[in-house]
Amino acid sequence: MSAVATPRGNSSHIVAPQVRAKKRKPRRERKSVILTIALWACVVYFLVPFLWLILASTKSDTDLFSSFGLAFGKAFSLFTNLGAVFSYENGSFGLWLANSAFYSLASAFGAVVLSTLAGYAFAKYKFSGGRGIFSVILGAIMIPSAALALPTYLLFANLGITNTAWAVILPSIVNPFGMYLLRIYAAEAVDDNLIEAARIDGAGELRIFWQVSVRLLGPAIVTVFLLALVGTWNNYILPLIMLNQSSLYPITVGLAQWAASSNQGGGARVLFSTVITGSLVSIIPLVAAFLYLQRYWQSGLSAGSVKG
Amino acid sequence: MTAVPLRAKPSRAGFRAQQRRLNATAYGFIAPFLLFFVLILLVPIFYALYLSLFQNQIIGGQTFIGLANYAQAFTDPKFYEGLGRILLYLVIQVPIMLILALFFALVLDSGRLKGARFVRLAIFAPYAIPGVISTLMWGYFYGGNFGLIAQIFKGIGLPAPDLLSQQNILGSMMNISTWEFVGYNMIIIYAALRSVPTELFDSAEVDGAGQWRIAWSIKIPAVRSAILLCVIFSVIGSFQLFTEPSLLQTLAPTTIDSSYTPTFYAYNLAFNNKELDYAASIAFIIGLFTAIVSYIVQFTIQRRANRA
Amino acid sequence: MKRKSALAVGAGVVAVALLLSACSSSGGTTSSSKVSAADITKAMSKSTTLNFWTWAPGLAPEVAAFEKKYPKIKVNMVNAGQGGAEYTKLQAAIDAGKGTPDVAQLEYSELPSFTVTKSVVGLNQYGAASLKSQFTPAAWSFVSAQGETWGLPQDLGPMTFIYRNDILAKAGITDAPKTWDEFATDAAAVKAKTGSYIANFNPTESAQVLGMIQQAGGNPFSYDGKKTVSVDLQSTAVKTVSDFLTKLIQSGNVSVDPGWTDDWFQAVAKGHYAGWVVGAWGPDDLTGSAGNTSGKWTAAPMPQWSASDNVGGDWGGSSDAVIKGSSNPIAAYEFVKYLNGDSASAKEMSLNPKSLLFPTKKSVLADPAFAAQKVAFFGGQTANQTFASIAATVPAGFGYLPYMTYASNDYNDTVGKAITAKSDIYTAMAKWQADLVTYGKKQGFTVNTK
Repeated sequence: MSAVATPRGNSSHIVAPQVRAKKRKPRRERKSVILTIALWACVVYFLVPFLWLILASTKSDTDLFSSFGLAFGKAFSLFTNLGAVFSYENGSFGLWLANSAFYSLASAFGAVVLSTLAGYAFAKYKFSGGRGIFSVILGAIMIPSAALALPTYLLFANLGITNTAWAVILPSIVNPFGMYLLRIYAAEAVDDNLIEAARIDGAGELRIFWQVSVRLLGPAIVTVFLLALVGTWNNYILPLIMLNQSSLYPITVGLAQWAASSNQGGGARVLFSTVITGSLVSIIPLVAAFLYLQRYWQSGLSAGSVKG
Repeated sequence: MTAVPLRAKPSRAGFRAQQRRLNATAYGFIAPFLLFFVLILLVPIFYALYLSLFQNQIIGGQTFIGLANYAQAFTDPKFYEGLGRILLYLVIQVPIMLILALFFALVLDSGRLKGARFVRLAIFAPYAIPGVISTLMWGYFYGGNFGLIAQIFKGIGLPAPDLLSQQNILGSMMNISTWEFVGYNMIIIYAALRSVPTELFDSAEVDGAGQWRIAWSIKIPAVRSAILLCVIFSVIGSFQLFTEPSLLQTLAPTTIDSSYTPTFYAYNLAFNNKELDYAASIAFIIGLFTAIVSYIVQFTIQRRANRA
Repeated sequence: MKRKSALAVGAGVVAVALLLSACSSSGGTTSSSKVSAADITKAMSKSTTLNFWTWAPGLAPEVAAFEKKYPKIKVNMVNAGQGGAEYTKLQAAIDAGKGTPDVAQLEYSELPSFTVTKSVVGLNQYGAASLKSQFTPAAWSFVSAQGETWGLPQDLGPMTFIYRNDILAKAGITDAPKTWDEFATDAAAVKAKTGSYIANFNPTESAQVLGMIQQAGGNPFSYDGKKTVSVDLQSTAVKTVSDFLTKLIQSGNVSVDPGWTDDWFQAVAKGHYAGWVVGAWGPDDLTGSAGNTSGKWTAAPMPQWSASDNVGGDWGGSSDAVIKGSSNPIAAYEFVKYLNGDSASAKEMSLNPKSLLFPTKKSVLADPAFAAQKVAFFGGQTANQTFASIAATVPAGFGYLPYMTYASNDYNDTVGKAITAKSDIYTAMAKWQADLVTYGKKQGFTVNTK
């Protein structure tokens, strides 16, 4: 539920872009040995879990429990593990990945459409009641999504739409933060004179929005899209509560269920190496997308500093 | 709010007609967002309020009990313990995480680091990992007998710390959140720093001010708002702590009890204890509480912005 | 949630049975009315897909055999999570009135929680009562309550003490401890001479402790099938077990780590724990993860409270129940009956190394293919024979509350905490009891305590 976009659980941050802020060029500085050593030491802390995950994915359960964490095991079982990941329970894993992708894309798309329309209107139209409505929405930015998940579940259960894809997507398309970001961005990026000129030319409001304004909002739209995408991909509590059926799970809930069945004993399969390898596989798309799209993040979030 | 200035002065009646038209357009633009906002955010909260006024019994069914659930919540030591834990968590974790993020951002921005680009990506990468997977991974490191950290301690001849004990578990959770979100906060502060105009501190440099002094008296004040917003969101993020306790519970089942955090408590009440009504009242209190905090914060920020 | 010690739905459920059949959509007019052979033939020739929720892996061959016998009936197996995870989903589906399975695996301890909400179908209308003599008495007592049958037994967990004979030998112990006192003495010897713990007592395993209480003659819970439950966690039997465990844990000769974590698996694989007091299904959890220790284990009966006793306890075990709302309850019942009651199927299920189910059917327990099997994990010991003889000593009639999910979670917060803190368990039992009473009253039950 990205009603609340926060770093933990969901994602997003208020950074109002100041579009016209002057960019600095990185300067050439004397490199500092102490700082370099200090930061690279920190890098070890940030990367060791990744290293462990990769190594652990190459081990069988037996090796996992009998070899040192940051070394290879006796046998190289990566491919066996991969086979297990994709075949266990009739290939649920692939389905979960697809579900995650579908929920995230649909939510991100919905969030962008709603936020852009509303953010643009709040920025560029002076209309009665607008200010009041805006403050009400702004206040909701900080209601934790996890706290809302349960009430939403109760409502959805009453409406009979729990255990459907809608139950996960609908709550995720309301993104007050995204709307806020777009409002701030639109106020700066879309020149009033452009709009006015288009009006004088006789263009309708919707056409002005679509043909003139949207293209100027690019970086903010990409940012909101990514924030909503990551927020939904990483969400756990909402799908956990809403979904009842394995074939609808996103990857987070699916893996957590496998992990839980390892930790339950009493006849359940011991799935440690499968869960670990599955974790590795499932983070690859997002890490790749992140590294690749990093500059968009920065341009969207950083188009400026915070105002306010 | 920026309004579209009307260049040509139309007649009074024409102005009113145009204003009405623009009003209608603006409402058309915000309508989809508003509709979902009300359905997904407001209705569930009030539905939870409604449900919390009834009691559901296994024997006896539903009866109206007024505010009895709230009377219970406000005297429920488990609820207060969870709340206290969250407060402790945010007083410790949020400052540590943000000071680290600020430090990293400043070092990256100073240009005095070798391999800065890689460092930045490495610190940011954990943000791409879903909370579920981060928690599972760190869980493997925390095991008291054979976890990775214990293995390393034993390897160098030191007694292994029990990272899952009553005293340490909260710290262990803080570590997971910090690992995950430092990079995200760093990127935001860094983005803000990049757009601080060079002229601001060039002259200071000419005057012979050291890097630390420049950071302290020029850069940090310039990105104060970015930091402030990071603070707010991290604080609110703490309120929805759920994934970490729910997944670490298998590893430390008696340390993390069913009421460890308010959100986790609400979940357990609803789904394990069949006390949906009481869970609804807890969720409503959390929602109301954070909404109030949120509005106070918005109000303060707005006033400050108006003063500036 | 682990497999809970499985015991009877103690005091029965007659009133609910009557209520249920009265308003049951599944047909019967009273619980004793029989469905005719013609009805069954008709039901089995109707195209049906049965949704079967189970976490037991490896049931595919038995399901395939059933589908072959009844080509019109398809069985769709769904793993909806083990124990608690499944019950949460099942309850949600029941509340929503859609998405319920036709058949669900339910631990014996959870059956009352679903009979109280009238969510399972009484099976006597289909003739289930006649199967009684085919199952071990303890297993049957779990599924039958006051004249109705709520499911058929699928597996059982007669409690055993399995141990690493090589580690115990190093401590000079060649025979398994006969009594709990000997167990405590041996624990000290093992700890002193080898550094290993003779066993680990998972602090959140209420089912294990309840199994020990059952062995000591206790029966702390009961439910009359209507509105009355009783809780007695301050009995002599509870005190015997609590005081023994308190002393044993405080001696530091056993560990109290959480079970089934990776740390725990590693500890087993590395001989950190030299033994385990567990249901007969326990070894199956270890064959994969502690494969390197295979062959070094011995299975023995759980130690006794007094040298002259020969009493068992049960930890775990589950039934298959027909869930209300099934579109073809007769076929659902026939499937449950085939899976667990058909001799060939039940035997196949028990012998299948993937299914991990300890049999409840007498004919399988006595079958040489099962009983005389030399188990490699136990170095060729005929361990099933040992388990089968323990199963015969498990007392019938152990009761459960209609809110065991709450009970076992609250156990973690009360008794579990005391175990971790190595404080007095009997005191914690009183706290657990108080919580169970409060909760029961809040849920509208009449709660009796002794």
